[in-house]
Amino acid sequence: MKSYFLSDQNLSAFVEGLMSKYPVIAPVAKRSRFVFDKLVDVSELRLDYDTTILPPKKVFFPAKQDLIHFNKDGFTSAIDPQEQVLLGAHPHDIKGIAMSDIFYSDREYDNNYMANRKATIIIGSSVQNHYKHAFFGTMNADRGLTGHDAFMTKIEGGYAVDAVTEKGESLVALGAFEDATEAQVAAATEVNRKAEEDCPEKLNGTAAEIREKVRNSFDSPVWDEFAEKCFSCGSCNIVCCTCYCFDVQDEWNVDGASGSRFRLWDACLTTEFSEVTSPGGSENFREDRGERYRHRFMRKAAYLNEQLGGPACTGCGRCSGACTADIANPATVINKILEQ
Amino acid sequence: MTCTCNDNNESIFLPHVADIIDAQMITSTEKHFKLKLQSGERFDYEPGQIVEAGLFGYGEVPLGLASSPTNGESFDLVVRVLGKVTKALGDLNAGDTMTIRGPLGNGFPVDEFKGEDVLIVAGGIGLCPVRSMIEYILHHRADFGKFTLFFGAKTPHDLLFEEDLEAWRCDSCMHYMDTVDTPDAAWKGNVGVITTLFEKTTEITPATKVIICGPPIMYKFVIRELDMIGVPRSNIFVDLERRMKCGVGKCGHCQINDKYVCMDGPVFRYSEIETLEEAI
Repeated sequence: MKSYFLSDQNLSAFVEGLMSKYPVIAPVAKRSRFVFDKLVDVSELRLDYDTTILPPKKVFFPAKQDLIHFNKDGFTSAIDPQEQVLLGAHPHDIKGIAMSDIFYSDREYDNNYMANRKATIIIGSSVQNHYKHAFFGTMNADRGLTGHDAFMTKIEGGYAVDAVTEKGESLVALGAFEDATEAQVAAATEVNRKAEEDCPEKLNGTAAEIREKVRNSFDSPVWDEFAEKCFSCGSCNIVCCTCYCFDVQDEWNVDGASGSRFRLWDACLTTEFSEVTSPGGSENFREDRGERYRHRFMRKAAYLNEQLGGPACTGCGRCSGACTADIANPATVINKILEQ
Repeated sequence: MTCTCNDNNESIFLPHVADIIDAQMITSTEKHFKLKLQSGERFDYEPGQIVEAGLFGYGEVPLGLASSPTNGESFDLVVRVLGKVTKALGDLNAGDTMTIRGPLGNGFPVDEFKGEDVLIVAGGIGLCPVRSMIEYILHHRADFGKFTLFFGAKTPHDLLFEEDLEAWRCDSCMHYMDTVDTPDAAWKGNVGVITTLFEKTTEITPATKVIICGPPIMYKFVIRELDMIGVPRSNIFVDLERRMKCGVGKCGHCQINDKYVCMDGPVFRYSEIETLEEAI
């Protein structure tokens, strides 16, 4: 890994260089908030964003993704990866992407996600402003950053830029990069440490403590207490950077002879998620909202914690912000369980 | 990324095309299909495994394979016509095609059953997936000990595979017993829930290997009977149903704790899931 320095004045030229070679997906303002979107003009780039409404998983796993195209003669796979750059992903979002990579490659290898993932160059950036619900400083904080190609940390006068992979290194040619000084490297380390320390929300407990305590709380009344206010809307699922459940549906084109099979983000908090049709009605394997609410936390904090070696949560805080009933904050819920 | 496998962008969602050789309504809602892969390749699977059966423009549904893999070149599926996809599948007939993804998941551990007495307990449409094992046992009858089949249906009109049932009733190679919840005037057999059959036979011993497949409510009551007989829970195999969309452990719908029914099941050794909440 090599460290460089890119001055504030030279940032625009570098990003324009990227845009001349690839579609660049980056944080841009949308009314009072931010979203990851394709940069049309470099002036739209907002590396000072706090968080985005949806996590960057949509770059590889869009909310609606075609799987198969069919017509009267047959069918073909819709996998068609395009080279692109994801610029400005925060460290905790990079961890979320690395977790999704495991979910989609473990056991059955899903190229509908993985092909897009491999075709994407990821350039991370440091957190300059905190989202009010963030707790990434205490959630998976010791989990190493992997899967990105380069990382930019805002320091005085510009950015300390780590080229992590060969792809990342190759981008250096697109901008006026200088070798970073020792002081600049040290300043970047401090900026990222401080960003973790300054998170507004704090989670207690280690990954192992969380796994054990949450796992053993299956019959706790705490789930029903929180879920009493749940609207079963699934907003917490939709904005989550590690939720990866989906529904699969078919759709005809207007010609009535061709169409597509696609997947859509799905949400385990909704009533229909575990429902099967049965004679005279339906059978629901998680009928109560308390059961569904518990399932989300069990899955994140216990089941997937086994697979990942830490909770399937990055502390981004998007679910807390998206929940109308204000019951989704993982720090609040897990801290309460740890106290029991 | 660590995984470098599957670099040719192969899709786990692409199905096989299967020709429908025969299609018959066997009750007012169940349609029985005989299928062959259009490619001419033999469709190989284990008894108890599942497939995603589909029709483009409508979707896919998970179904248990309803015939033994030893049953020649074709394989059977039974569709209960209820929702959008199953209604579209139910309109198909001999000469049409449907798509098949699979085989998926784990079937019955056939080798472990060899040399042992076997009881299969099937409720309603649960007879379809276990028919793969029933046929397998009958095709390899000498490999197994005593074989008992309990089948329960709501009414005599809901009895599936009438020809099979007739043959099994007369078959000296197996002990077939059935029951209905609600009889009609012509019904001469047992009336009551499926557990009432246990008191009518003494052939189930603690050494019997047991398979259970039926409506969700049925499992715990059957297991209670088996507990009383002293069948260890490691000898009990449950074939579970869940909502499934992908069949490959990704979409999350069939998850029970950390298990995916589509990948880790649908057949589970009961001792391995008895402590999993939400399983039974």
